[in-house]
Amino acid sequence: MLCQNCKANEANTHIKRVINGEATQKHLCSSCAQSLGYDNFFSDFTFNLPSLFSSFFDDRNLLLGETRADRCEICGCSFEDIIKSGNVGCSNCYKKFYSKLQPSIQRIHGKVKHSGKVPPKTAEPVVIKEKTAEEKIEDLQKEMAKAIETQNFERAAAIRDEIKQLKGEN
Amino acid sequence: MNWYKNKGNEGDIVLSTRVRLARNLTEYPFPIRLDEAQRRDIGNTVKEILDTDKTLKLNFIDMSSLSSAETVSLAEKHLISPEFACDTLGRSLLLSDDEDISIMICEEDHIRIQTVYPGLSLEEAFETALKIDEILENKLSYAFDENLGYLTQCPTNIGTALRASVMLHLPALNKKGAMQRLSTTVAKLGLTLRGSYGEGSEVSGDIYQLSNQVTLGISEEAAIKNLNSIAMQIIAQEKQARALLIKDEDYLDRIYRAYGILKSAYKLTSKELINLISYVRVGVSEGILDIPAEKLRELTVLLQPATLNAHSGKILTQTERDILRSQKVREELA
Ligand SMILES: [Zn+2]
Ligand SMILES: [Zn+2]
Repeated sequence: MLCQNCKANEANTHIKRVINGEATQKHLCSSCAQSLGYDNFFSDFTFNLPSLFSSFFDDRNLLLGETRADRCEICGCSFEDIIKSGNVGCSNCYKKFYSKLQPSIQRIHGKVKHSGKVPPKTAEPVVIKEKTAEEKIEDLQKEMAKAIETQNFERAAAIRDEIKQLKGEN
Repeated sequence: MNWYKNKGNEGDIVLSTRVRLARNLTEYPFPIRLDEAQRRDIGNTVKEILDTDKTLKLNFIDMSSLSSAETVSLAEKHLISPEFACDTLGRSLLLSDDEDISIMICEEDHIRIQTVYPGLSLEEAFETALKIDEILENKLSYAFDENLGYLTQCPTNIGTALRASVMLHLPALNKKGAMQRLSTTVAKLGLTLRGSYGEGSEVSGDIYQLSNQVTLGISEEAAIKNLNSIAMQIIAQEKQARALLIKDEDYLDRIYRAYGILKSAYKLTSKELINLISYVRVGVSEGILDIPAEKLRELTVLLQPATLNAHSGKILTQTERDILRSQKVREELA
């Protein structure tokens, strides 16, 4: 996607804010974002500053010599994907690209070693299992009733289609 | 305690305190890589775990079941982020009746525990967030690394993944031209001080947010303590500056005029309201006007465009909203 302002560079800064009762999005390149005053991390009072993470990578050499094999085995994300989006793909990416991420992490935080709360090792993780088609249909039917109640007919129609599709699969 | 219906500590200057903990699960990629069904599964799992705690009583909201006015209204009240309001597919929210706890599912991270308190209340807000985190951590396997701490979709949040902030009303320091210097100073201390911007580059309503920036290599307690002590210093400076400011007759005149417009205008835009209330708030804190601080806060929050639409149950035109807004203000200040 091209920057909405200069229409030349790739948009890598996505600004979401609420203006006059509407949730709006702007897609800008990092230089336009800065010149338009959007380099402000907290301008909309949220805690999100992902798009600006890429600006911490001034060393583009990190990308040289990257091959397709350099992808996270879990989520398929490459280091280039991380730089472009400013987002890491999954927790395994941090292991996979640790040495490449480390310099920018140090630049952001000044430190590289966590000090603070540690989750208990004894945690017995619940295994999140996929719901069965019947359970999903049941959920959707409840939701459809709610949508009709709130006169959100567009949503209700979309749910109806979803239910149809699920039933078709059986 | 609802943040816009109660005054709270230092409530003449501090509008709210927010604390956010970001958490992710090991079994899933980060939210940008999740489909709708996976997002729903995470929401349902978190709901089931939190339902077992009888003291919390959180309402589970499927974001796609809300009208767009309702969604944006939540963002106007700072209960969700604009980012969360832009894309509601598969996302859900757990919200307490008092709106002091709001847990966003699959925003930028799988779980974002947020607490909002009136006034300056960092420790309480942190404790409440921690309590929820402790319920969840016993049942979920969090993405965590010994060196990097809690892992988050964006590396700016790793470590404690704690972001704490106080929303400050600083008209006197702003009038003095002290904001630039102040934000440079706090930046050196690992904090950020930023203005609330409307459409352009001017700060609307003299409202600023002070928050911690660094999350790796500093403990939660130290971050909270640090933020609290800097906030206290800024509050003290603002108090001093306000006491001087009201000796200025031109400024006094502005306070009275702002109050006059609020009490008699037939139409008020939300921007106008915020700017006028900024003056009136100084009048209140300095004992010139007698209006409860929380009433002013409630007006600025509940009379925002989407919140007005959501309350009236239909989409009003801008003019209809401006008329309705001034009516409510007149009623409240009568
Ligand atoms: Zn551009
Ligand atoms: Zn990955």
